[in-house]
Amino acid sequence: MSVADRAARNRLALGVFAALVVVLGILTAALDLPLVELFTVGTFERALQAATPIALAAIGGLYAEKSGVFNIGLEGFMIFGALTAAAAAWFPSEGAAVTQAHLWFGIVAATVVCTLLTAIFAVLTIRYEADQIVAGLAVWFIGLGFGPFTATVVWGGVSSPSLPNIDDLAVPVLADIPVVGRLLFDASPLVLFTVVLAVVAWVVLYRTRYGYWVQAAGENPEALDTAGVDVNRVRYAAVLLSGALVGLAGGVLSVGIGSGFTGTGVTMVDGRGWIAIVAYLFGNYNPLGAFGASLLFGAMDMLQVQFQTIGISLPGSIVGLFPYVAVLVVLALVGYTRTPSAVGEPYDTEE
Amino acid sequence: MLRATVLERFAIAVAATAMALALGAVIVAASGYDAVEFVSSLVYGAFGSRANVAFTLRQSTMLILAGVAVAVAFRSGVFNIGVQGQFVVGGFATAVTILFLAPVLPTGAVGGALLVVLGVVAAMVAGGAYAALPGLMKAYADANEVITTIMLNFIASGVVFFVVDRYLRPAGASAPNTEQFPDYVQFPSLVFDSASFSVIGLGVALATVVVVYVVMARTRFGYDLVTSGHQEPAAAYSGVDPKQTVVATMTFSGMVAGLTGAVFAIMILGYYSDPSTFPRFGFDAIAVSLLAANNPLGVVPAGLLFGGLDAGGQYIGFTLDVPPELVDGVVGLVVLFVATPELFRMAGKRTGLGGDDR
Repeated sequence: MSVADRAARNRLALGVFAALVVVLGILTAALDLPLVELFTVGTFERALQAATPIALAAIGGLYAEKSGVFNIGLEGFMIFGALTAAAAAWFPSEGAAVTQAHLWFGIVAATVVCTLLTAIFAVLTIRYEADQIVAGLAVWFIGLGFGPFTATVVWGGVSSPSLPNIDDLAVPVLADIPVVGRLLFDASPLVLFTVVLAVVAWVVLYRTRYGYWVQAAGENPEALDTAGVDVNRVRYAAVLLSGALVGLAGGVLSVGIGSGFTGTGVTMVDGRGWIAIVAYLFGNYNPLGAFGASLLFGAMDMLQVQFQTIGISLPGSIVGLFPYVAVLVVLALVGYTRTPSAVGEPYDTEE
Repeated sequence: MLRATVLERFAIAVAATAMALALGAVIVAASGYDAVEFVSSLVYGAFGSRANVAFTLRQSTMLILAGVAVAVAFRSGVFNIGVQGQFVVGGFATAVTILFLAPVLPTGAVGGALLVVLGVVAAMVAGGAYAALPGLMKAYADANEVITTIMLNFIASGVVFFVVDRYLRPAGASAPNTEQFPDYVQFPSLVFDSASFSVIGLGVALATVVVVYVVMARTRFGYDLVTSGHQEPAAAYSGVDPKQTVVATMTFSGMVAGLTGAVFAIMILGYYSDPSTFPRFGFDAIAVSLLAANNPLGVVPAGLLFGGLDAGGQYIGFTLDVPPELVDGVVGLVVLFVATPELFRMAGKRTGLGGDDR
């Protein structure tokens, strides 16, 4: 796509966005909707919480794809993460008294187990050159099958019993800062962690030698190889990182902010892994951009609550579809995001 | 995956299925169940009685149809993961057509046949249109079709549920179901005495396979689709517009998916319901198509295999306390192994069982 095309697309995207804002404005004025009341600290608090699992998975997936491996199995790994966290938290006491320590153990277990599972995915895609798209889909199907299966083995049903979730952490002094204090320093520690992670991921990717390696492995593996760096080792590291983060994302969903594992339908992950992929595409592979996009989708996810509080009545089953529609709109507008040129291509050293 | 001889593909398909089943049995044993009982029940559930065979054929009919829909797209280099959504939308179009036209058309066999035909046409139009959407987005906005089609699956389920629940549920009914179709709108059961399987359905599936095979292998249109999938520049030089081809591929694939939905609504359900409770034929069909190396003819044996697995799996769910979700997981494993032919080539080399022809 030429530069002129791209500029035209950018203008189109901006135009559509501006038009949407205008239409919303007119609607607000004409129907006298209290849309301004949507923007409260509570709104942002819920959006941030809903965004946390999406952002974690997005940042993980972003590193893998930057390095040249499209980890399209995020959704499946997230199912395993959510399940593992709930099971690991439940097991020590057989559900009798699940404590905060158990929940943290669940979070750690989800991270470790998903890292191990992505290690298998990494070997199949990097060493055995499996088709990344098909293998990623397989991961999803395996998660959809074995997730509820394992839940049935553990709990006798596809969902876990209700579990407590991780307590909010109020950081002394910082929590008293207006707005920001309540959003970040009197919230789940996992939310705070994710915000910090997004910044660290940005710094690592764009300001460190490892970050350059990751980018080179996805853009120009031959050059990286010539420079004496093992391309596949960089890719393994990035895929394992994506596994750790997506496992953590699943854990956040089931015991971090949720209350156990739900295995009915497409499970409690419910497309968040796919939305995470779109989030980093929308953020143009920039960790901070991906975080921003996750926040947007998180807000969409929470619209139902907001609409109820300000008295707009739309059926929940329709409002629940907003994130998916948003994904389509986003893809139609920014679908041209340039993927790293060597994504999907296995790299063989010429020896 | 495309670089393989027919024999190699067949060997990979067999090895992938065998490995997935073996792994499934190991998981059954590791979870504390009886693996031998699991396998023997799987076989009995698939072929053990006349009713079980009918059930296997019923599931196979759906998987063959949906598998062809997937194969059309994959063969042309487009990943249509949205067959499930197009299947839902297609069946919904059938249900709406039949329910709204039944009062104005004659009853009896003639009216029944007319309604079935109109329902099928509606399903193919709706399925094709719903699939054209991601096709257009891929062609003109470069949007990854894997993600758009999956989003459209979620949207199809949500919207169809909403409409059925809100507008088509008969007054006083507690379940989100539409009214029953009139009883003359159905496929007569003929050979098997089953309320939800008819050899006519299987006949429709096999006829679809033949039609799609002929279109793909013997017509200009099919040639263009397949060339675009394998060699986009070559197709472009020979005067094929790649963008239009993507849209045409998706539409063609979606029409077959819509037809699948029509057969599901007419032959199996006889009404319409909440799509989130439907079997995930559209996803299992991806495994079917991959196992068949995306060849429309290969979809028939692959569909029979998965139909048997599915029937066996459901039988297990009824009789043993092994969760039936296990079979879904095994299907996922088959996909994973099929995606990794290199694993089997290397294994073949190591054990000296061929694989040296590359």
